[in-house]
Order: sequence, then structure tokens, then C-alpha cells
Amino acid sequence: TLLPLVSPLSDEGKGLMSIKSAFSNVVNELHDWDDVHNGDHCSWRGVSCDKSFSVVSLNLSNLNLGGSISPSVGDLKNLQAIDLKGNQLTGQIPDEIGNCGDLRTLDLSENLLYGDIPFSISKLKQLEDLILKNNQLTGPIPSTLSQLPNLKTLDLARNQLTGDIPRLIYWNEVLQYLGLRGNFLTGTLSPDMCQLTGLWYFDVRANNLTGTIPDNIGNCTSFEILDISYNQITGEIPYNIGFLQVATLSLQGNRLTGKIPEVIGLMQALAVLDLSENELVGPIPPILGNLSYTGKLYLHSNKLTGSIPPELGNMSNLSYLQLNDNQLVGRIPAELGRLGELFELNLANNYLEGPIPQNISSCTALNQLNVYGNRLNGSIPSGFQNLESLTALNLSSNNFRGRIPVELGRIVNLDKLDLSSNDFSGPIPASVGDLEHLLKLNLSRNCLDGPVPAEFGNLRSVQHIDMSFNKLSGKIPVELGQLQNLNTLILRNNNLRGEIPVQLTNCLSLLTLDISHNNFSGELPPTKLFSRFPPESFSGNPLLCGNWLGSLCETYPHGPK
Amino acid sequence: LVLMMSRRRLSGPGSSPPTCRIKCGRCTPCKAVHVPIQPGVSVPLEYYPEAWRCKCHNKLFMP
Repeated sequence: TLLPLVSPLSDEGKGLMSIKSAFSNVVNELHDWDDVHNGDHCSWRGVSCDKSFSVVSLNLSNLNLGGSISPSVGDLKNLQAIDLKGNQLTGQIPDEIGNCGDLRTLDLSENLLYGDIPFSISKLKQLEDLILKNNQLTGPIPSTLSQLPNLKTLDLARNQLTGDIPRLIYWNEVLQYLGLRGNFLTGTLSPDMCQLTGLWYFDVRANNLTGTIPDNIGNCTSFEILDISYNQITGEIPYNIGFLQVATLSLQGNRLTGKIPEVIGLMQALAVLDLSENELVGPIPPILGNLSYTGKLYLHSNKLTGSIPPELGNMSNLSYLQLNDNQLVGRIPAELGRLGELFELNLANNYLEGPIPQNISSCTALNQLNVYGNRLNGSIPSGFQNLESLTALNLSSNNFRGRIPVELGRIVNLDKLDLSSNDFSGPIPASVGDLEHLLKLNLSRNCLDGPVPAEFGNLRSVQHIDMSFNKLSGKIPVELGQLQNLNTLILRNNNLRGEIPVQLTNCLSLLTLDISHNNFSGELPPTKLFSRFPPESFSGNPLLCGNWLGSLCETYPHGPK
Repeated sequence: LVLMMSRRRLSGPGSSPPTCRIKCGRCTPCKAVHVPIQPGVSVPLEYYPEAWRCKCHNKLFMP
């Protein structure tokens, strides 16, 4: 008689083996899924069973599994949770997944799955969490997802889904989280969205939605986060928005027109208000100063006019204030100096005038200050040395004058310093050499005189130095040869003289050198490094010799004469 | 009528941070804080959306 060769494995064990056979990279991660040596499938990695040895959950997240999801998953009828996130799974989501009628959680996020979202998912009446974000899924969002009465989380972010957001999805009082960012969804926002009475997270950022913000938007009173940024939404921000209870209101990157509604100043629950990159006009409502709990206020890249309301100084929790790229006029209000939490202040590219108020020096948390491209004047406030956290200071393209204060060297965390295109005069203080973290230094297009400080040799990290179009005199200090990270040195249009120090050839990272239009003399260091620079780097120095055509002491003839 | 009364919008526009006094169970002090919500794999330099939560020591509670 024949001995039975059938393995004692149950049907569910066989289903799991078949799931394994569709995966790759199983040798390392699923070696205990082995029907020959271990028939107890409930003990296999990532498998959990109920009392009757039926598989209830499958957790194989972040195991670098490749291959695809086998249709055999549909044989595991008692599955309540599938978590395959963070693998390299490809192929389509099998229709058979609709047979797992007890499924509560389905997380297939962060894989390479493609194809449509199967309609069969709408058979999963127990489903609470459907998380398919970060895949390559295409096609529409099935409107039948509205037939899932228990769905709490629907996260389809960062796929390639197309078509409209099905209106029926909005008629779900249980749904708490709707994540659709980063797809190719079209159509408009429906007034029905406020039927989501249990929803706190609404995110359709970065799609192709058009139309206006629904007039009844304020009815979405359960929303904590409303992110409709980076679409093509047009029209005005409705007054009704003031009834929202949101902590985050992200409307940036659309084509919104009209004024900023005053009513937004009453939305004190706002932690983040982002209206940037739209076509908003009119003034910044002073009532926004009421938002004393707001940490981030972004109004940049609009067409806002009028002056900066001093009331913004009342926003005591503000850490980011970006008003750049508008048409703002008037002075920088001294009241901004009361913003003790302020981390980033960007007022660039407006029509602001007058000096930077001394009080700004009280913003000791300030990390980035950018006033580029205004009509500001006066000198750098001496109190700036208190801004010890500052890493980026950009005062470029204004009408600032006076000397560069010695105290600037005390802002030791600076990595970018741009004072270019102003009327600064006098010598460059040696203390600038104390800025040992400096990566980029731009002092070009001022009226600076005196020598290049030898202390610049201490700028260990510096990559980019531009001091062109000044009245600098003296020699290039030999200490610049210590700058191992320097890739750009621009000294053109000054009154520098003497020989090019041979030590400069130690700057092995140097890719761009421009010392043209000075009074340099002698021969160029005859090294490989210098031969890579074009003749234009040296032109306008009549007493300088090199191997370019017409040079004083041309050593290599360029063709027949 | 009760349903209508419970709608905050009848009291006019505007909002305020949650009052957290009794939201942390027995834990004190209970304070309202901003919490970043990670919306999946995020692009660097993008800020996360923020929501309000009630915080007591290291524990967060729903407002």
C-alpha cells in the first residue's frame, strides 16, 4: 500500500505557501514558512491565528519582499489585517482580496503596485483602514468605496490616480482620514465634502483640481487639517471659511484671487496658515495679529499691497513669517521685534523702505533673515550680534550703507552671508574670518575698500566667495591657499595688485576663478589647476602674464603667426 | 433643536485652541500643543500639517 504523501498542512497553510511562492527575497525573510519542516503555519513569521488555527493577520512589513501579491490571499477567509507596507511588491492588487470578508485593515503602502484599485475591495464591509499610499496605482478612485460603512482611513496618497473624487465618498460619517495628495485627480471640490462629519484630515494637495472653494466650506466643522494646496483652484476665499475649526489651512499654490478675508483673523485655532503662491491682492489684514497661537504664517508670492501691519508683532507663537515676493511698501515695523519665537523672517522682493529696526535684534531665535530686493537703507544694526542662532543673513539688493560692523563676526553660526548690491563702504572687518561655518560669502557690488583680510584663511568651510565690483586694494593674501573647500572665488573689478600667490594652487576644489579687471602682475602659477581657467578669468590685468593669446609673455604660441 | 445648538457655527465665525483641562485623564498639567501629522513619505523642506493635541508630560490625548 502507498503511504500517504500528502502533507498535513491545512488549506490555509497551503494558501500561505502559495503567497510565499509569488514573493521574492523569501530565502532570507520567510525561511520558516516551510511546510516540510514546520507544518504549524500559525508559528510562521508574521502570521497570527485565532483559536481554530485560522489566519487572522499577516504582518510582513518592511522585509524588502519583491514579487507580487498572490490571488491565494483570497483563500484566507478569516483575515482581519494585512500589512505588507514598505516592501518592493509589484504587479496588481488581486481581485481575490475581496474574498477576505473579515478584513479590517489593508495596508499595502510604500510598494511598487500598479494597475487599478480593484472594485472587489468594496465587498470588504468590515474594512476600517485602507492604506495604499506610495504606489503606482492608476485609474479612478472606485466610487464603490462609498459602500464601505466602517471605513475610517482612506489613504491613497502619492499614486497616479485619475478622474474625479467620487462625490459619494463624502457621504460617510465614519470616515476620519482622507489622504489623496500627490495624484492626478481632476474635477472640482464638491459642497458635499462637508457631509464628512467625522473627518479630521482632508488632504488633496498636489492634484489637478479646478473650480472654486465651496461657499459652504465652513460647514466642515470636524476638519482639523484642510490641505487643498497645489491644485488649480480659482476664485476668492469665501467668508464662510471663518467657521472652520482647523489647525492647518493650506491653500497655497493655487490661483486664488481677491483679498485675504478679515474673518481669518478670528480663527485662533490656526497653527499653520498658508495662503502663499496665489494671486491674492489688497492689504494684509491687521486682524491677523490676533492669531496668537499660530506658528507658521505664509503669505509669500502673491500680489499683496500696503504695509506690514505692526499688529503681526502680537503673534507671540510665530516661528515662520514669509511675506516675500509681494508688493508691500512702507517700513519694517519695530513691533516684529516682539516675536521671540521667530525662526525665519523672509521679506524679500517687496518695496519696503527705511532701516531695519533695532528691535529685530530681540528676535534671538532667528535662524534666517532675508530682506533681499527691497529699498531698505540705513546701516546694519549693531544689535545683530545678539542673533546668535542666525545661519543665513541676506541683505542683498537694497540701499544699505555704512561699514560692515566688526560685531558681525560674532554671529558664529552663519553659513550664508549676502550683503551684495548695496552701498556698504570702508574696509572688510577681519572678524568676518571668525565665521568658521560660512559656506557662502557675497560682498560684491558695494564700495568696500582696503585689503582682503588675511583672516579669510580661517574660513575653513567656505565654498563660494564673491567680492567683485568693489574698491578692494592690496594683494591676494597667501592664506586663501588654506581654503580646501573653495570652489568659486570672484574678485573681478577691484584694485587688487601684486602677483597671484602660488599658494592658491593648494585650493584643489577651485572650479571658478575670476580675478579680471584688477592690477595684477607677474606670471600665473604654472600649474594644472590654473590651466583649467579660461583667459577671461584674467583679462583686464595688463601686467599679468599667462598662456593666452596676446598676453604680455605668451609662452605657447596659438597657431601660426 | 439640540442638534442645532450643538453646532458651533451658530455662535459666529472664529475658532480657538482646545481647552485641555480635563482631556488628559488624571494627568496634570494638561496643555494644548501643536503636533505635526506625517502625511506619508514627505518631500524634504515641506512642513507637515499640524493638529492640536492635549499633552501631559510625554503623553498625548485627543482634545
